[in-house]
Amino acid sequence: MKGILLLSRAHIAISLRERVTLFWFLVFPILLLSILALIFGNTGGEGNVRFDIALVNEDSGDGFSGMIERAFGEMATPAEGGGEGIFSLAIPRSGQDRGAFLEEEMERLSRGGLAAILVIPAGFNDDLIGALTGEERPAVDLYLNRNDPGSRMAGGIIDQVIAGVNREILIRSGRLDPEGEVETKAGWIGDGEERPGYIDFLLPGIVLMGFFTAGLFGVPGTILYSRDVKILRRYWVSPLTVPRYVAGFAIGHIGLCTLQFGAVYTIGRYAFGARLDFARVDVALVLLLSVATFMAFGFLIASIARTPNGGMAIANILNMPMMFLSGLFFPITGLPLFLLALVYVNPVSYLIDSLRAGLGVGTAVMPGSLRLAVPLGWIALSIAVAGMRLRWDVER
Amino acid sequence: MDRTVLKAEGLVKDYRDVRAVAGISFAVERATVFTLLGPNGAGKTTTLEILEGIRSPDAGTITLFGRTLRRVDRAAKQRMGVLLQEGNFEPYLKVKEVVRLFASFFAHPREVGEILAAVGLEEKGNALVRGLSGGQKQRLAVGVALINDPELVLLDEPTTGLDPQARRNIWSIVGRLKSEGKTVILTTHYMEEAEALADSVCIMDHGSIIAEGSPRELAERFGEETVIEFQSEDAPADAIERLRAFSDEAKLDGEMIRLETSDLPRTMEGLFAWAREAGIPLGQLVVRQPNLEDVFLALTGRRLRE
Repeated sequence: MKGILLLSRAHIAISLRERVTLFWFLVFPILLLSILALIFGNTGGEGNVRFDIALVNEDSGDGFSGMIERAFGEMATPAEGGGEGIFSLAIPRSGQDRGAFLEEEMERLSRGGLAAILVIPAGFNDDLIGALTGEERPAVDLYLNRNDPGSRMAGGIIDQVIAGVNREILIRSGRLDPEGEVETKAGWIGDGEERPGYIDFLLPGIVLMGFFTAGLFGVPGTILYSRDVKILRRYWVSPLTVPRYVAGFAIGHIGLCTLQFGAVYTIGRYAFGARLDFARVDVALVLLLSVATFMAFGFLIASIARTPNGGMAIANILNMPMMFLSGLFFPITGLPLFLLALVYVNPVSYLIDSLRAGLGVGTAVMPGSLRLAVPLGWIALSIAVAGMRLRWDVER
Repeated sequence: MDRTVLKAEGLVKDYRDVRAVAGISFAVERATVFTLLGPNGAGKTTTLEILEGIRSPDAGTITLFGRTLRRVDRAAKQRMGVLLQEGNFEPYLKVKEVVRLFASFFAHPREVGEILAAVGLEEKGNALVRGLSGGQKQRLAVGVALINDPELVLLDEPTTGLDPQARRNIWSIVGRLKSEGKTVILTTHYMEEAEALADSVCIMDHGSIIAEGSPRELAERFGEETVIEFQSEDAPADAIERLRAFSDEAKLDGEMIRLETSDLPRTMEGLFAWAREAGIPLGQLVVRQPNLEDVFLALTGRRLRE
């Protein structure tokens, strides 16, 4: 037993001392988590989309123009922070020349630094009152950037806000009876807790991706390299047997994956605000099943490849399809039938489904029995093939 | 008391269409140095790999420490130490971690510090294996081979590629093991190594044992005559024919002319007279007793390192 534990410790020490391995084991998953969270998750970590807009109220009156300003203000994040909203609103400072402010914001809009500019023209309040008595309707000016998709989205949302303001004006002027409208009855599902953000969707995917990479690349890489440079041969002339070596290797691999998980979780939780609770038995079992499945896959690759380079080539061929046809990073919806077939034989699909369901990030899509049976089936198949084909010493 | 530590009977090993070991048998006695000598491809390493437990023979048996086995097992390995011809340690492990790791595989290992001291690596205990020189790596390999205080030590070409100083170190370790009562089996293609270390020698060629005995016995059996060698350049075309007039055998051997004689004074007298007459300088003239190289040459018509 001491030999097995020392082997596992040696496996961990070697991986942490070797820079390339350390990069793929620890740095890369953290890097990928950070990049995806920053791009898609919004650095605030809450997973909401926000648009930077500017509002210039050139009307002196407080009536309806003030009402529009307040409506956008309520939907914006105040500069002092604390709250959050769909808009980050820029307005002229007290005493600032509105013309100069508008000019600056137009420049920002053209550079993509701003999603939209809304201008309430002078005399808007009076014109609106006139319109209620039959005169021509006034307009607010909306400036958008045709080259910025975010600007287009912001324009649509601003339209909806203005529509809400219009409705309020009609109600206040007695021209619309709110009781006469079509009523919406909302039916809520879920447990009422805060909705998970993108980071909560992403984190389990990155955790499994780390295990996946460690298994598919790390296991055959280590075994085949050690075999080819005759490191393993040193073991085989001692009383160490192959099963004991595999036990030591497996314990070390699980230890490495645990370290990797700890690092990724810590960054996800404290840098990006993930709220997932991994401290549950069912979640821990899914994680262990994932490590075992990918490690078995690694042994399967090692038994098929003749050289370390061959092993890496096979791992590369499997890598992208298995990761992207599983829902690890993006939901898999609307795939053609032949791709769906690959999703259903892919053990990663079942493991990520089980993990997200266990963490409460989503509802399991795959049937319960298959979520266990498919990964276990792959483990059994991989061990059987490796048992028959894997060569533990160089050929003569 | 039976002094035989190891007995191999009818060992056969084939690699696809090539018969690497062709039914060899031999016995090794306790506290002796037994050497498998032969050129590359003779089957020495395959034979040793069978004895190490790395490979199974296709036919034949091994009786080791009184037990007859088809393949060397864990129990036998507990009493053996092996120095591989080719083999590496994990480059990112520290020296003392390597020794501690291998010690953990044995039931009764020696202390890590004791091993490091025995091979002169005490100060390198915290160094990574990748930082060691070739000689230091070989010393580490020797230390690991001796970690269980083995009764039987297998050394596969232990000095190949080493400088003369490192080679002498290995020779002195082998001598010490023998004096401690250990049994050593080593393979080599260095004739002088076998002569310096071996109590008994098996000469192998094409997977078979072609001669067996102590170095002196073999030299006496296959090469009774004195050997004279000198550089062949500048020698006239009829040199071999003329030299045969006063020697038992004369032949061209690469860049050298080689004479064999059982009457050294007569041959030397004739040689000097012929050289003076033909104006031959007799460069690198050597007069010596026959050695294992001559035995191999006599048996196969080839040199060991051809």
